[in-house]
Amino acid sequence: MNQQDSANIDPTATLSGQAVTAAPTEAPDAPLRQDPAHTEHLHAKSITENALEGKTMIKIEDLSFSYDKGKTNTLRNISLDIPEKQVTAFIGPSGCGKSTLIRCLNRMNDLVETSCITSGNIKIMGQDIHAKEVSAIELRKQVGMVFQKYNPFPKSIYDNVAYGLRIQGIKKKSVLDEAVERSLKNAALWDEVKDRLKDSALGLSGGQQQRLCIARTIAVRPKVILMDEPCSALDPIATAKVEELMLELRKDFTIVIVTHSMQQASRISDRTAFFYLGELIEYGSTTHIFTNPTAKQTEDYISGRFG
Amino acid sequence: MGSSNNPFSKQRNSEHIKETLVKLTFIVFTYLIIFAALGIFGKIIYEGAPVLWQKGWSFFTKKPQTLFVNQVEKGEGIEIPAQNFDGLLANNPDADKWLTNVTEFEKTTEFIKFDLLSGSRIGSGYLGELESLNADVYVLYTERDTDAAVGFQLQAEKKISMQQSDYVALTKADHKLLPAETPERTVNLSDFELTIAAGEYPIGKDAHDALVPTELVFQMRQTFADDEPDKINLTLIPHEQTITVSADIYYAAFDEEERGTLPVKSEQEVPVSRTFHDFTLAAGSYITKPEALSILGKYGIQHQHDPLKGSIVLNKNITGLIVPKDFWGILTQANPSLKTANQSTVTADTAYIRFDISKDTEILLDTEDRESIASANEATGKFVTTSEQTHSYSGGGVIGPIIGTGLLVIICMLVALFTGIAASIFLNEYARAGGFVKTIRLAMLNLAGVPSIVFGLFGLGLFVILAPCVTSTPKTSSAMMVPLVKLGSKPELRVCEQQHIYICEKSNLSSSELTTIATANGSKLVYDGWIWLSLQGWGTSILAGGFTLAMMVLPVIITSCEESLSAVPMGFREASLALGASKWQSIRTAVLPYAFPGILTASVLGITRVAGETAPIMFTAAVAEKSELPWEGLNSTGFDKFLDFLQSSAQALPYHIYTVAGRIPQSEYTQPMQYGSVLVFMLIVMSFAAISIWLRARVRNKIKW
Repeated sequence: MNQQDSANIDPTATLSGQAVTAAPTEAPDAPLRQDPAHTEHLHAKSITENALEGKTMIKIEDLSFSYDKGKTNTLRNISLDIPEKQVTAFIGPSGCGKSTLIRCLNRMNDLVETSCITSGNIKIMGQDIHAKEVSAIELRKQVGMVFQKYNPFPKSIYDNVAYGLRIQGIKKKSVLDEAVERSLKNAALWDEVKDRLKDSALGLSGGQQQRLCIARTIAVRPKVILMDEPCSALDPIATAKVEELMLELRKDFTIVIVTHSMQQASRISDRTAFFYLGELIEYGSTTHIFTNPTAKQTEDYISGRFG
Repeated sequence: MGSSNNPFSKQRNSEHIKETLVKLTFIVFTYLIIFAALGIFGKIIYEGAPVLWQKGWSFFTKKPQTLFVNQVEKGEGIEIPAQNFDGLLANNPDADKWLTNVTEFEKTTEFIKFDLLSGSRIGSGYLGELESLNADVYVLYTERDTDAAVGFQLQAEKKISMQQSDYVALTKADHKLLPAETPERTVNLSDFELTIAAGEYPIGKDAHDALVPTELVFQMRQTFADDEPDKINLTLIPHEQTITVSADIYYAAFDEEERGTLPVKSEQEVPVSRTFHDFTLAAGSYITKPEALSILGKYGIQHQHDPLKGSIVLNKNITGLIVPKDFWGILTQANPSLKTANQSTVTADTAYIRFDISKDTEILLDTEDRESIASANEATGKFVTTSEQTHSYSGGGVIGPIIGTGLLVIICMLVALFTGIAASIFLNEYARAGGFVKTIRLAMLNLAGVPSIVFGLFGLGLFVILAPCVTSTPKTSSAMMVPLVKLGSKPELRVCEQQHIYICEKSNLSSSELTTIATANGSKLVYDGWIWLSLQGWGTSILAGGFTLAMMVLPVIITSCEESLSAVPMGFREASLALGASKWQSIRTAVLPYAFPGILTASVLGITRVAGETAPIMFTAAVAEKSELPWEGLNSTGFDKFLDFLQSSAQALPYHIYTVAGRIPQSEYTQPMQYGSVLVFMLIVMSFAAISIWLRARVRNKIKW
């Protein structure tokens, strides 16, 4: 444990302030270099098979979270490691806290004034994201989020994708053009919209709008993309496209997805965590969870025998 | 009966009647509203439209005019400038009954163009006239010369009976002026020895003016304004005094039969004998010393000098002055030490109309037209008016009120929107739900319910007489003064004279000492080289009015801005924040643009409400009568001019309507103006509403989700 702690407090890995501007090139490697030992250690303790190939990107340790100043805990003692460049799915019945957890990862819960972490911590790239010197703004540039209901701004497609870069103060047309094209291509939307970039984003279909939101998120080149039920408002065909896209994106990004669809989790995720009533019941490789769950509740839930 | 077979048959007839009655009642009340609206709008349009039609554009472009109803004798060859002829026709729809032989012609007027050189001495009255003839000239002088020779002219010989004391002084000042023969005569008169008890008494302006030259010590509680000759103000007699006054002062200031005179404790007639000198001054031009002119002025010699203060010394050349030829004669004669150069004669052609009046008739003229027709026919004497009635505000013209209202609305909306949007952003986006926000909301709800007259009084108390000012010449009535820096630039002599500024040479006096000294010297402002932060208010000004209106409309603006902010989906904020925007960035780029249509609607609603308010501006900004637009007649330059402009009062449409409809004597001529003004007002408000609807639709089409 001591070994790990010293690794996690590595000052080069800070997410706050100017250090982050250099982060895309240097920071990710620095803390993760020491990870194998730590991953093995944890692995040995909680996960039985299918050793993680990736390095740990997000490390949640004994996290308890409350929406009402600590009176009741919505999340209780959750510990899990999310590996780099893999898709990790959070499943569980409504109200189990999976959305709350994902919103903790880029501190979107800060918007709820009475929310607080009652115990434990979250480390992303080795840095405790609730530390005083961490800026939520810089964190969110590294940890992007796609929401349940697609929410493009009522602007043109181009402006939507360029939004994140513009608020960072990038005004140069060539840089924006390049970023918009790259992001739309990454989001598999380029071919559909390249001729109408100046049209309103609201003229797109639901699936296209959601992929536009993904493009908007990856335009700022985050390390992690959080997706909060990204397909719940989409029809099966649009869902299929988004899923395809996710499989493509996992080559470059660490993806955490909350989903209600068991099939979706099994189709796209490398690892699955099952939550129930604010607790992490089981966490492991997706094949393991879906074929050979350890806990009774997990088995009941994925087989549909749940209350 | 089919009722047994029909499961849905009507039950009782009375039920049916009741239903119909209720429905009818609702219909009646609904239609009542429509009829009321139709009645009001119909009446205004029915009465107002003909006025606008008859007056045409001049109704919008002229300042409010007094209407002169003149009984005119028939005459031939009456002249009037062409531009005023249109006004004459507009005011007299029946003109074809008496107007004949209308011919156009060009009239040539001669002007003298000249430069006035530095070192010239000129009387203040003449300088004033020069400035009014040359709009862009304003002379800031620093010096007066009490010794400069002055001139005056007598059109006819003048008989004068001069008191002994004046006669002695005049002989001393300029004995050459007097004829050799000045017979003496002695007259017995009575003076009055009066004892006045200490106390406070109401006195009128005439009594006040008569008391000023006497030895009586008294202190006015308020000052008299020139436009209120009938006002009664309180005066304080600090201790019992006995004075001797002449009969004319006695009758003006102490006669108990008259209203607004000072009561006396005891009075006693004292016979006196006075010596008078009788002499005659022949017609012609005279040049004399200012002391002599000052004495002659008391005996009815007309001049525009200010002999006691002295002639103004010009310290700069003024080039390109243009004056009519006849004024040039008067000017050069009355100011012997005037130095001029580059004198040349210029002529200007003006389009004139000549017409005949075929029979004795009644002609309606507004102020501008009457003045020009009177001066155009002064020489020929062909335009003969046998009687004249005046009706204030009945000549039309609403440009002053329109502009005043516009300025008030602009200032108000600037203040209200900045404050309102800031407050609503704070309340909606930043503030944590809790007691504080609840209190603020409660306060706002209460504020929205406060009657507008209360806002008027609030504005009077806060903005008109207590708001902070940064100035080098604070008012002596300032509630509190804090010295800031010693950087004030000394006001020009002319400004000091005009605004009654007391120049204090010592710069180390405390504010209370300073105001005491200045008040004792009868000054309203004081200058001692420091720049002060003074709680003296902004006066009755468009600034104070705009702020008052802003306070009144703030609750409305904040509430509707908040509504439009909270109507923006949470998703926009989240998406923006999730992309790494700071709180303000996300508000600025992802919330405000989409709340804009709502804010726009709120502000236009605010505008229409503010434009119509009378009570809040009554005490703070609006005046019933003002001949100048707010930016006219300001003599300062640059930023000072802007500040002066903000601190000037203005007419406002609703207040103008109130004045025309209720505060002036009503006649058949005032009523149409009232409806005309109301129609103009309604057109303005409605066009605002129309613009807002159009704008909103446009913006809404662009931005929606």
